[in-house]
Amino acid sequence: MTAALTTSTGEPLDVESLPAVPGLGGLYARGAAAAGRIAAGRALPAIPGLGSSAPTDDAPLALPRTAYRVAGVQTAGLRTHLRDYQRLLHEPGADALPSGYLHVLAFPLATAVMVRGDFPLPLLGMVHLANDASLLRPVTVGEPLEVRAWSENLRAHRRGVTVDLVAEVHTDGELAWHGVSTYLAKGFEAPSTAEAPADPAPRGDWVPPLPTGRWALPGGTGRAYAAISGDRNPIHLSSLSAKAFGFPRAIAHGMYTAARALAEVGPQRGSAYRWTVDFSRPVLLPSTVDVAITADDHGFAYVGWNSGRQSRHFAGTVAPLHSR
Amino acid sequence: MTDAYTRAVNTGLTKALATRLGLPRPALLRRFEAGAPLTVGPVLLLADAASAASADALEGVLAGWGVEVARSGGGAPAGGVEDSGSGRGLDASTPAEGLDPAQTTPVRWGAILLVLTESGRPSDVSDAVLAAGPALKRLAPHGRVVTVSRAHAPGDAPALAAVRQGVDGFLRSVAKELRAGATGNGIVLADGAAVDNPSAQAALRFFLSARSAYVDGQLLTVSTGAAADAPGPEYWARPLEGRVAVVTGAARGIGAAIARTLARDGATVVCVDVPAAGEGLARTANAVRGTALQVDVTAPDAGARILEHARGRHGRLDIVVHNAGITRDKLLANMDAARWDSVVAVNVEAQLRINEALLAAAAAGDVDGLRIVSLASTSGIAGNRGQTNYAFTKAGVMGHTAATAALLAPHGGTANAVAPGFIETEMTQHIPFATRQVARRLSSLLQGGEPVDVAEAIAFLASPLAAGISGQTLRVCGQNMVGR
Amino acid sequence: MSRSPQPDAPRTSPPGPRDAVVVGGNRIPFARAGRKYADASNQELLTAAIEGLVARFGLQGERLGEVAGGAVLKHSRDFNLVRECVLGSSLSPQTPAYDVQQACATGLEAAIAVTNKIRLGQIDSGIAGGTDTISDAPIAVSEGLRHVLLEATHAKTLQGRLKALAKLRPADLKPLTPVTDEPRTGLSMGEHQAITTARWGITRQAQDDVALASHRHLARAWDEGFFDDLVTPFHGLTRDDNLRPDTSSEKLAALAPVFGKALAGTAEPTMTAGNSTPLTDGASAVLLASREWAQEHDLPVLARFVDAETAAVDFVHGHEGLLMAPVHAVPRLLARNGLTVDDIDFFEIHEAFASTVLTTLAAWEDDEYCRTELGLDGAFGKVDRARINVNGSSLAAGHPFAATGGRILATAAKLVAQRAASTGEPVRALISVCAAGGLGATALIESA
Repeated sequence: MTAALTTSTGEPLDVESLPAVPGLGGLYARGAAAAGRIAAGRALPAIPGLGSSAPTDDAPLALPRTAYRVAGVQTAGLRTHLRDYQRLLHEPGADALPSGYLHVLAFPLATAVMVRGDFPLPLLGMVHLANDASLLRPVTVGEPLEVRAWSENLRAHRRGVTVDLVAEVHTDGELAWHGVSTYLAKGFEAPSTAEAPADPAPRGDWVPPLPTGRWALPGGTGRAYAAISGDRNPIHLSSLSAKAFGFPRAIAHGMYTAARALAEVGPQRGSAYRWTVDFSRPVLLPSTVDVAITADDHGFAYVGWNSGRQSRHFAGTVAPLHSR
Repeated sequence: MTDAYTRAVNTGLTKALATRLGLPRPALLRRFEAGAPLTVGPVLLLADAASAASADALEGVLAGWGVEVARSGGGAPAGGVEDSGSGRGLDASTPAEGLDPAQTTPVRWGAILLVLTESGRPSDVSDAVLAAGPALKRLAPHGRVVTVSRAHAPGDAPALAAVRQGVDGFLRSVAKELRAGATGNGIVLADGAAVDNPSAQAALRFFLSARSAYVDGQLLTVSTGAAADAPGPEYWARPLEGRVAVVTGAARGIGAAIARTLARDGATVVCVDVPAAGEGLARTANAVRGTALQVDVTAPDAGARILEHARGRHGRLDIVVHNAGITRDKLLANMDAARWDSVVAVNVEAQLRINEALLAAAAAGDVDGLRIVSLASTSGIAGNRGQTNYAFTKAGVMGHTAATAALLAPHGGTANAVAPGFIETEMTQHIPFATRQVARRLSSLLQGGEPVDVAEAIAFLASPLAAGISGQTLRVCGQNMVGR
Repeated sequence: MSRSPQPDAPRTSPPGPRDAVVVGGNRIPFARAGRKYADASNQELLTAAIEGLVARFGLQGERLGEVAGGAVLKHSRDFNLVRECVLGSSLSPQTPAYDVQQACATGLEAAIAVTNKIRLGQIDSGIAGGTDTISDAPIAVSEGLRHVLLEATHAKTLQGRLKALAKLRPADLKPLTPVTDEPRTGLSMGEHQAITTARWGITRQAQDDVALASHRHLARAWDEGFFDDLVTPFHGLTRDDNLRPDTSSEKLAALAPVFGKALAGTAEPTMTAGNSTPLTDGASAVLLASREWAQEHDLPVLARFVDAETAAVDFVHGHEGLLMAPVHAVPRLLARNGLTVDDIDFFEIHEAFASTVLTTLAAWEDDEYCRTELGLDGAFGKVDRARINVNGSSLAAGHPFAATGGRILATAAKLVAQRAASTGEPVRALISVCAAGGLGATALIESA
């Protein structure tokens, strides 16, 4: 059973139904292998047999025109997992699934898109730049879900290309949650000739506001969120594994910090809300992060920075939506 | 808090050992317990011929207290004993038969009361005194010897003065011959007071009782006091009922014991001490169900605050016990101003200033029948090396007590002092071991006293019936060898 | 169908509102954490405070209406802390008791509860108290260990228990010491106040001046014997051992900032150990009664407990400072009683930090703030600095959280009584205590 699906710009997508949301462990193994092929294919295009399924430098980058879909995802068994998530992220122990939790549920399917043979960018090494998720109607634990994921909007960036991974959660045939994760693949060239947008304000000019909160993030923060989210990207797990990817220490998952900020907005976010985040500099663990969560006309704005320094880690918004 | 030596020579194996070795064996003193008999046995009443009527009066008093009395005339010390005729009398020479026919052991006297009030010259007392001699051998442990005599006064005939003063030396010597916790004390009637006047009765009862356990070898002058009502048994059970007492230095030691004893005798006690001693003070106040007043007695307004608290909270003030005192020992050659002045300020100047306020209140009619009892010390009587400052103030206390007594008399009040000897307290715990041992044994009772012993004397002097006792210093020292 | 009440039918209603009065207070000297009271528990501290009060007023065996109080840092075993203290005291064991907890406002909130019952005629007398010890604070196990232990306890089989215990990780064994961090923000109280201080632009010098005055005033009060009938020594401590009578502007100026250091670049850190209260152990108790009860018991009356107001502020997202709730409560309290700041003779503003006092005063003097945040027509008013904390406050005395309310209430009541006795005029004091969680309790007392 396939339904007509389009990207946000209206381009049609082929829908491929999967029996279940894939496990992330296997996806990472495939992702790592694919990344190796992609890297090898770019570096050694002349060697036959390598990079056979990957695009080469010669062809412009193109995203797969396929969307994955899993129907009938059961959440009744997730109560304990939800509870663990709520404790870790300081969410209240309610039955409603926070937007960050829906991201965790949909993330493996989006990852599955990124490890497809025809996905042109390497999973490992991509940088999560931003996230924009809207919870349009409350989703309660126990409700069966339909999850969809695809990629779109490949575009130029100062340091490579960015791609949006879009995920959706439907309940009762209606869209309940829509999330867009923007990743950067360094060193790749965008298919279009459009100019890459200029870098935002140079570092050091930014002056932090007065904080409204302070997070003491212990060294195990990455491992704890990895255990809950399944995102066991080695850069989050230990200093050693992070060093292999060029980080001095393990870094916190960006989505962990964004989800904490979301939780700390509190009940005023309502039961339907849009939640955005832009990641600037990674949070090296352990770390003390100061945050300022302030109300404005549209909802809440938040920003997090390295306590005592003028180094911003992330900024975002949480705005209530009228529940559908 | 009996000292370890006294405990050891009175218990078990060490007792046997001490007896063998002939070590001095201080007795475990008999102290007051509610409901216990007044004396440990019957009272042998002895009198010279001239004092027979006085003896009769006292026999009536004793009988009224339910004490068994035996009479022996002055003429037959060892043999033919006169029957007192009261029907309650006992033959002094064969008391066992009289007391309990089934009892085969001879009676042990609870007390020997020697009445010499009307003796005219020294040769008059021979029979009575010589009758007391053999009876001493049958004085029960914790027994009492009490003399009742009269004070000599200016204008007395020389022979009269001789016999009256002679009793003083006699009593002090008898006391030193007593063993096993027995004590000897004398009542000296002044100003022609009747032998059975209420204050004399109170004094007699105190000396006979366990309350005077550590008072030994002392003579107390008794006049006719303002209080006149013949007291009933309920008075003797709680002589301070309805009275409000202030005790300074009540946080611990002797002061705490005074508070407990006054409360036991029925008084509501205001416990006073310096603010820094408040923790112990609260403990004392709560234990006696009184109130705690944190005030430094050297504060200029201490007297006013004490009066205000006692009258404001409890409606009256009847008793003030000046117990607060400090020691700052140093040889005079090394004495500094701080040591001298602080001792003077606390031990005597504070009492004087508070007494001024009390006298003013008495004059204004705010207090009536006030009893002031101040703590002196045997150091103030005999002197003590290294305590020039302390002895100065404690002798001063005895001096101002006599003077204050005269000022209080018009208002029905009395002022007396109590001079403790070696008392087992936290303070004396700090005396070096050897000195402490010597100090303990240097008394007829061969031991230090307990804080409660001092407290009992104070409670007695503070009682309503002690109205005829004023300006006196009563030693509570187990007849310490030092001093008078 | 209704029936009109018969005119002669007895009406069932409690007596109408009447006066509640402060008879007196007692506390133990406050001790810096880990020193004189290092081996004393909350129960021992509060019992000592109550025992001193009982001794002062001769309450042995007395059945009081109730004893209310509490502790901020409390062992789970102390679920009935105040009742246990009553049972360990010389009061009648028939005296009821209950625990109150409102962070640093616990002591004053307890007094509000007791006086309200007195005013309603439900009780005639009561004690409000509080205690806290940092030295004997409860140590919690980590969340991980706690969950494992709970799971193991609830498991029905040995296998289940072992399975639960197998989840234990070495990091779980690290004990958690109590923190004064706000649960919702992760910022300590000091950091919160550093933000408020920065927002109001309070200078280091102004804060040090408040601290210096606190020490000088408290030392003078001690020397004058002001606390002779307000404090009972405990464990050999006879005065508050945080008090530094010899401190000076120079000494205070030499101290390094401890709070707000992370604000560097945004605001200069100004809060030091000298102008912030130290962690302290202590306890206090206040005897409250109806006027009639005090008279019947021949007890003095220091002051009348007129009225109280509590407030809370939205601090979580920085809309208001954590410790600014009393700023909101006091104008409401005074307005209800038809008073202005000029009608108050003594201001007792709890010195959680020197800057708490200063931000409070600054806010009340700010037209814009008072209009928008307090809903007033303009600035609430300027408080005469000579009327504030005249006998010192928490900076000098220390601040055992739940004990502070009782300390301040007894001090204020005695100040009022003394002033009234010397002038013969009515005298009023205002008490303001800020608390964690954006809470604040305030009270108005008047010469009796």
